[in-house]
Amino acid sequence: MSDEQSVAEKNTVVTERMGLRIVSLLLIIGTISVFMLWSVNPVGSGRESTFALFLAVDLVSVAMISYVGRSVTREGRMARAPLIAGCCMILFLVLTGIYLLS
Amino acid sequence: MGWFDSRLGLSYQLLRPAPQYSVNPFYWLGALATVAFVIQGVTGAIMMLYYVPSPTQAYATTQYIFQNVSYGTFLETIHLYTAYAMIMLAFMHLMRGYFVSVHKKPRELMWVTGMVMGFVTLGFGFTGYLLPWTIVSKSATDVGIGMMGALPQPLANFLTFLIVGSGTDAGELLRFFDLHVFVLPAVLLVLLVVKMYMLEAHGVSEPTTGIESLPPKKRKLIPIFPDVSFYLVELAALFGSAVIIISVIFPLSLPPEYSASLAGQYVSQPDWYFLWVYQILKISALEEAGLSVALSVVTLIFIALVLLPFIDRGKTRSIRDRIVYVTLGAIFAAEVAVLAVWGYLTPGIAIPDETAGLVLGGTALLVTMGTVVAYKAVFGGLRSIVKGRASGAPQKPPAVSKSVSSRSAAVWTSGIFVCLLVAGAYFIGDSISGVIALRLGASGALLSLVVSLAGLSLTVVGTMFLLYRLDLGSGLIRRRIRAFELGWKE
Repeated sequence: MSDEQSVAEKNTVVTERMGLRIVSLLLIIGTISVFMLWSVNPVGSGRESTFALFLAVDLVSVAMISYVGRSVTREGRMARAPLIAGCCMILFLVLTGIYLLS
Repeated sequence: MGWFDSRLGLSYQLLRPAPQYSVNPFYWLGALATVAFVIQGVTGAIMMLYYVPSPTQAYATTQYIFQNVSYGTFLETIHLYTAYAMIMLAFMHLMRGYFVSVHKKPRELMWVTGMVMGFVTLGFGFTGYLLPWTIVSKSATDVGIGMMGALPQPLANFLTFLIVGSGTDAGELLRFFDLHVFVLPAVLLVLLVVKMYMLEAHGVSEPTTGIESLPPKKRKLIPIFPDVSFYLVELAALFGSAVIIISVIFPLSLPPEYSASLAGQYVSQPDWYFLWVYQILKISALEEAGLSVALSVVTLIFIALVLLPFIDRGKTRSIRDRIVYVTLGAIFAAEVAVLAVWGYLTPGIAIPDETAGLVLGGTALLVTMGTVVAYKAVFGGLRSIVKGRASGAPQKPPAVSKSVSSRSAAVWTSGIFVCLLVAGAYFIGDSISGVIALRLGASGALLSLVVSLAGLSLTVVGTMFLLYRLDLGSGLIRRRIRAFELGWKE
């Protein structure tokens, strides 16, 4: 086995581990947001907005999990930009949701 | 995943694999429109639990959904915005298909099926608009029904029978409800199956530059599950979250209920996706010629779109060799957008012929110039394209210089051109506002109109100057100007 092949295999293993951690984190965020959105009292337009924002958090999490899964299994590497953009989006949505809730 | 796969046979190759280059949102605009349709199905089914399709109860039950049902406003908003998104995505799907020539052999019938699906989608919009029974929706629908009567016979009688029924409000609303909830979804599903079958038979369309132009990695086939499926889940989730965020920012509010007395005071106007048709019908020359002539113009546009595969029969799919069709497509898209915005700004106001000529002609001129500049910048000059076609030379795009100066020149040229386009669009809009203000007798309207027309003239002159310098850049002058250097050949 050449050096290049072994480096590529090591990179793939590292990417898989990273992917697993990111997916686990996203699953936790998704679960919390599901819990949050169903615990919101639905009466009132502000509350509906909070529900909608937590639903959007869930959907962005699903999109990111799908992206990570696709990237790791097929390409063996992940681009940082989509992950950073997704994390910023989740953070923004969660903060806005909490602000509306308060 | 393996456990599910072994039980459900998920990795069994039921569908043909897709090429790697199709992992691109533009290849899946139709799929996103289908996602929007599914979301509408789910939200619509929930709303059907409360809605009663009767003139006396339609508004009250819609109001009940807004005010008393948990997440009711959210449901209504999502239902409406996904409908808008579906229409917008269908239009983008149509225009993308047009520009990359997916209508050519062997996909002619896929195009025709897609066009019929587009009409069904517009039908969804038309029938669904009436259901809340608001002053806005009922008035606009009445205008639409009135226009149908001016269509040629027997089409007019058939459509009137189909959607108006006995002629009473109750019969009309019930028919619209049935069409919206049962007939059109069933028709759309059947057409979707037919189109999917044809997609499975022909596969994803190749790039216009030919599959040979792609690197081997892009040509590689990938299975529908998990690769393409994961990608579609990703797109669908992002699309869903975008619609949700928009619905939070712009929540829907219910207009007043329809009543005959209120209807007299209200200027009826169709929803945005029919505004361009509405605006064509308001042009004085067409109004004077009669509604049937005006509708015939619109019908001809639709017929031309449906029969496009049998009109544009050239074998080449390359964008480089289809400058006429590409320009016509760009003009069509721009005119639809301009007419829609214009119609929104001028409800119920007839359009004088001169203004129509100025705005529509100006838009066509700007878009034509834009296309010519884009061709010049991307393909290196129209003369070479025309020469290449006349001599039967290979239609491959010329090798693009990757030097830094060429790239920088391309950026400068594109930047200046974008500025000119933005300025042109602004001055066209300002001219329209000026004309409206002048008609309404506002003070200072004439000065404003003169200024905007002068600005528009300057923009047109600037664009022509840009084109002129780009042509000179092909070697006739020696004094280089960095911004216009793109066409320079030593």
